[in-house]
Amino acid sequence: MRARQLNHLWLLISLGAILMVSAVRILTGAHGIDSIGTIRAAIIATCPILMAAIGGLWSERAGVVNIGLEGQMILGTWGAAYFTYYYGPWVGVFGAALLGAVGGLLHALATVTFGVDHIVSGVAINIIGLGASRFLAEAYFTDLEGGGIKQLTGLETPTRVTIPGISDGAEYLADKHWFLVSDLASLVGAMTTDLSLFTVLVAALVIASAWILWRSTFGLRLRSCGENPAAAESLGVNVYRYKYAAVVVSGAMAGIGGGFLALVSSSGFTTGQTNGRGFIGLAAMIFGNWRPGGTTAGALLFGYTDSLQLRDSTSVHALLLIVGIGLVALALWRLRQGKTTTAIVMGALGVAFLVWFLTTDSVPKEFAGMTPYIATLLVLALAAQRLRMPAADGLRYRRGQSI
Amino acid sequence: MRRSTKIAAVLAAAILALAGCAKEETTDSSDSGGAGLDCDSASGDGPKVGLAYDVGGQGDNSFNDAAAAGMAKAVDELGATCTEGEAQDDEPESAREDRLRQMADGGYNPIVAVGFAYSESVNAVAPDYPETSFAVVDGFDPDEEPNDNVAYLGFAENEGSYLVGVAAALKTETDHIGFVGGVNNDLIQKFEAGYVAGAEAVNPDITVDVKYIEESDLSGFGDPAGGKAAATGMYDNGADVVYHAAGASGSGVFDAAVDAGEGTWAIGVDSDQYLTASAEQKPHILTSMLKRVDTATFDMVSSVADGEPLTSYQTYDLAHDGVGYSTSGGFIDDITDEIDEYAEKIKSGEIKVPTAP
Repeated sequence: MRARQLNHLWLLISLGAILMVSAVRILTGAHGIDSIGTIRAAIIATCPILMAAIGGLWSERAGVVNIGLEGQMILGTWGAAYFTYYYGPWVGVFGAALLGAVGGLLHALATVTFGVDHIVSGVAINIIGLGASRFLAEAYFTDLEGGGIKQLTGLETPTRVTIPGISDGAEYLADKHWFLVSDLASLVGAMTTDLSLFTVLVAALVIASAWILWRSTFGLRLRSCGENPAAAESLGVNVYRYKYAAVVVSGAMAGIGGGFLALVSSSGFTTGQTNGRGFIGLAAMIFGNWRPGGTTAGALLFGYTDSLQLRDSTSVHALLLIVGIGLVALALWRLRQGKTTTAIVMGALGVAFLVWFLTTDSVPKEFAGMTPYIATLLVLALAAQRLRMPAADGLRYRRGQSI
Repeated sequence: MRRSTKIAAVLAAAILALAGCAKEETTDSSDSGGAGLDCDSASGDGPKVGLAYDVGGQGDNSFNDAAAAGMAKAVDELGATCTEGEAQDDEPESAREDRLRQMADGGYNPIVAVGFAYSESVNAVAPDYPETSFAVVDGFDPDEEPNDNVAYLGFAENEGSYLVGVAAALKTETDHIGFVGGVNNDLIQKFEAGYVAGAEAVNPDITVDVKYIEESDLSGFGDPAGGKAAATGMYDNGADVVYHAAGASGSGVFDAAVDAGEGTWAIGVDSDQYLTASAEQKPHILTSMLKRVDTATFDMVSSVADGEPLTSYQTYDLAHDGVGYSTSGGFIDDITDEIDEYAEKIKSGEIKVPTAP
């Protein structure tokens, strides 16, 4: 019953958000905020972050903090490039997962078997990942066609599909700029035009992860290792094995995220091309309260704001209005709940954004670049009171220990 | 909650501390990259040259490689020998200074630092080694005190960009073109200024979209996904030629041109990028703005070999063949005459190309 109510709440919020975006679009004429191109770019920007975030979810649900996601992603970019060059893009995806999993295994070995501090090991993985990818690139890519000491460009990309009738229809409707209809058409259009099957795979992996972690016995045991490993052990769960499995899968997921960067986001490998996306993924996971739905929302928020500011800085101005309205609405909601202080702070912020929107014509580009981070800070600041990480997350666990 | 705060604090501190000190390295040698410079096998009696690359190093298919090519020529023609060092992302200023000091202590002279990011460190190191000649490609003197033993090898990127701007404006069919910069700093703005001026000289009403991947973070030069997102936005909005000054992020710009389909162009930078692009990308690379870092590097070494080292500001402009444009692919063969007319006017001083937008 509660679950269904929660689902209704999410549905209402999503609908409200679309209505608001649509209204803002009509009001400001900034049709770029949800055009087909924008949403496509947002999806592409989201996928690597989302995979890293899901990787983080696997590991942290089993009680291992994985800040090595960035390094595992970097390993994934190399694996994707190497295997794609020789065996085609789908083996490349597998190669990305494999290399990422190696990074995960290293992290598991350090944290689970040797009981190294998770942060220390994670930082080491990040450095090793970068160094290893440079070394491997120099060793294997230098003499290849399109290769160099630091790159391998011109890789084959996974198949892209366009669903003929729907895609054209959606594009037609989206170009009409009608209220609500065009926004929904944009969404449909983005998902039916030139959609990479890799994107579909990412979506499938997210859903599968959510199902495994929350609906299967394996997932329940895995999560129990993150909440109370001693209790899990006493019930016969092999905590070490579960932690190993979780961290290796975590690395594989992050590696796939790196593979996405090398195969879909651009068509090639460049050392350091992850550019901090692993850390962003970690933030998206915390943002999502260590749960798949919220994590996806967090990754989408990052992906959307980041691609929007890169594509179309003028639309960022329209975002001010959305943020302003959103904050005021939240403030009213909090007021109804009787939380006056939070309501006042939010309301004031919201009004500030509205004033900013009304008194300016554009956002200075220095600010536009910060959009993804400001958006996150804002949402985190408003939601942080309710975050709860797995109880034993980041703690060293030794077999047989009591709490 | 308290624990997560603690973890966050430790995490932040650890990343800052380790990112700072861990990645410092000086490679004495590296395998031959695109430029084909192999310092290990050089054994002449010419100048001993220290070559300090910027982030990317040999194999970046861009200006580090161009410096290596100039060095390779010096090895062949002047009997020079060399050592190489390479900067890492996010390394502290002290790492650059250490690299230069190691070379100076090792008796290398001249020391050629590739990239404007070396300006401060050369300024700090050079006074301690008065007998050694330094050169900074793209560099500037950060303080009032002149250094007698430092040459700042600058390029008139604005002039080269002007010419590709002309090419873009002549080729566009939508009167709408774009520019993607890696990082929004003075140097990259020089590219933008020249490009826009060149395009407007041909067509005053042309629309030029301008986007920088990062405002100040140098990672903007190594983010192909970001380059692709920015350029795709421009093509979606109707631009059909996009020029990039974004280092390795530029390959994302080329990818965007490929995705945008037939009749869309991208323009490369620093070296002739048609030659290093993938087969898919080649049909979309209209031309490249050439920055003859190789000429400058060779000049510096040969000036030392002649006993009269270059010092202070040296500008390699159009008149001195320091910048130019490439014609590989043959896509602009029909308009080279027109472009060259503009080039002549710049050389004669009739056209003054702005250096800031």
